[in-house]
Formats: sequence, structure tokens, C-alpha cells
Amino acid sequence: MKNRIFVFTLSILLPLVARAELKWEQTQVELHPGVADKEAVGHFKYQNTGETVVHFKSVHSSCGCTTAQTQKDQVMPADKGEITATFKIGDRTGTQVKTVTVETDELAHATTVLTLKAVLPELMQIQPTLVYWNTGETPQPKTIVVKPSKDFPVKELKVSSPSAEFSTKVARDIASGEFKVEVTPKETTHPSATALTIQPDGSAKIFYATARVMPAPATPATH
Amino acid sequence: MFLLAAAALVPAVGEAIYFRDRVSWQSPISASELVTVDQARAWGGNAIWVDARPDADFTRDHVPGAVSLNEDRWNELLPQFQSIWSPEKKVVVYCSAESCNAAREVAERLRKSTQPPMQNVFVLEGGWEAWVKKK
Repeated sequence: MKNRIFVFTLSILLPLVARAELKWEQTQVELHPGVADKEAVGHFKYQNTGETVVHFKSVHSSCGCTTAQTQKDQVMPADKGEITATFKIGDRTGTQVKTVTVETDELAHATTVLTLKAVLPELMQIQPTLVYWNTGETPQPKTIVVKPSKDFPVKELKVSSPSAEFSTKVARDIASGEFKVEVTPKETTHPSATALTIQPDGSAKIFYATARVMPAPATPATH
Repeated sequence: MFLLAAAALVPAVGEAIYFRDRVSWQSPISASELVTVDQARAWGGNAIWVDARPDADFTRDHVPGAVSLNEDRWNELLPQFQSIWSPEKKVVVYCSAESCNAAREVAERLRKSTQPPMQNVFVLEGGWEAWVKKK
């Protein structure tokens, strides 16, 4: 009986004494990529402060836009390393929070969630990106407001419509730095559409907005 | 009774502090924003399906008739969606389990793309995987 108690106690205590432990320098990283950056890379450094080897079982990210890589599959005692999380910026804007879940064979903390926060600059705000009229509606101009960010001053805005069915007029408000793009359909007698291209001076980046004359919604027949 | 509650609180607070960096959470999507595969299918031609997954996933397979609109190429892809949208249509946005925040983010950006905000924009419950199961 005494032997059994001894073995049981040992089985509880041994893993605690000879435990593996990955200590993370930080589990949250905040990045502020520049306007021209295509990706943001976060480095999550760790060290095995335990006495046994730690094995990575899986590393996966919360989003298809983020990839995470370990430098090695196992971490020897006292060894250091890092997991890099690469976030593809694409056309995302604002604050983006992505997580990477790391699973190891540690007994105490098998799962660690690493958080990558990226504060992305927005070159310009375009509101709305779609202006539309119904067929038969008076072809009055509608306005798209283009607001460049403070870090990206724009003096001139080139707006063009590939379709002759719509005309555009750009006006700049010097005080606010905003641009007002007035879009007018030539007529609203039939459905038509155009993808307006909006290009700020000094940038190769092209933004889009759409102008459409839509078929009037069907009204239910009355008897 | 009070002592029991206090005793239970101590380990709970301790755990919350100790695991503060290890817990992942996010606010759930409200039920009114979600739509099931069956509900969305019942809308037939009155629904526009939007695939918010990366280009490669869309090229591999997608819901028939769906348009690709992801945040990797938002500016470039948005006009295609806007050329088929009309106010009376319902919009069903989906992504895969791997990138399932994407549908929610795309839905939010779509709502803000018109003035007044676009109505009837839904996120598909269970995403692409749910649609494949019911195919």
C-alpha cells in the first residue's frame, strides 16, 4: 500500500519538478506599418526555462491573411527562439487584431495565444463608394467625399469615368483638405454603370467608386 | 454561503490574471446578422453571394454565382460587386473556418459603402464548410 501511495505521489510531483516551460518575452505585439508596406511582421520570442524539451504540436493563425512560422520543432532546455507572424496588409485599413495559437506538449500551458495588432494607415476615406439613381429619377448630381489622411496630404485628385454616360467634377476644400466629387448621369432613361477611378497625385495607387443608374424597383401590382 | 462564494472567487480571479494573455475571445456576431445555408438558399436569385476568402480559395471552388470580394484586393474587386448590387437584394457573405473573421469584416465594410448604409447584409453561419456540407 505504501508503495502505491509513493508511486502515485511521484507521478504527480515528477512532472512538476522536471517540467518544461516556454517563457514568452511578449505574447502581444503592436505594429504600425507605413503607407507603402505590404506586410507587417511580428516577432514573438521565447525561452525554454524548464528542464525538459518542449515540442511544438501546432501553430495556426486566426486568419488566412496571417502566416506563422516556428524556427524549430523542439526547444531544448535554456534554448531561445521566436515565432514570426506575417500579416498580409492588402487593402485592409484601421486596427487589425489577428491571433496565432501555439500548442506545445507542456503540461501546465499547452496552449498559448499570441496576438498581433496592426494599426494600418488609411490613405484616403471615400464615402460613399457607390452612388446610384433609379431609372426615371431626376439626373441630379450626387457627391462622393474623398478625405485624405493627415499623413498623406493630397493636392490634386484625378477622377475619370470610362463611360461617357456619367460626368464628374472635383472640388477641393482647402481648409479641410477634403475633395468633393460630383457625379452626374447624362440621363436616367435606361440602366447604365461606370467604375470611376480616383487617383491622388504622387501615388500610383488607384481607388475606385461606382456610379449606376439602376432599373426602378418593381412595385407590386394593385387590383 | 458568503464564505463559499468568496472562496470560489479567489481561484477564479487568480486564473483570470494568470491566463490573461492566453485567452482568445471576440464578440460574437449578433443573430440578426447571421443567416443559415437553408435560409440563404431560399432567397434564390434575390441573394448575392460574396466570397470573402483569399483568391486562391475562390479559384479552387466557390458557391455558384458568387462574386469574389476579399480584403486583400478590396479596391479592385469592389466595383464588380457594386455592378450587380441593388437595394432590394440580400447579400450573403461567407469565408472559411480558417479566415472566418473575414466575412464579418467584409460585411461591415459593405454596409458602410453606401449612403445610407447598405441593408440586408448577412454573414453565412458556418461559412464555406457549412455550404459544402449541404451541397
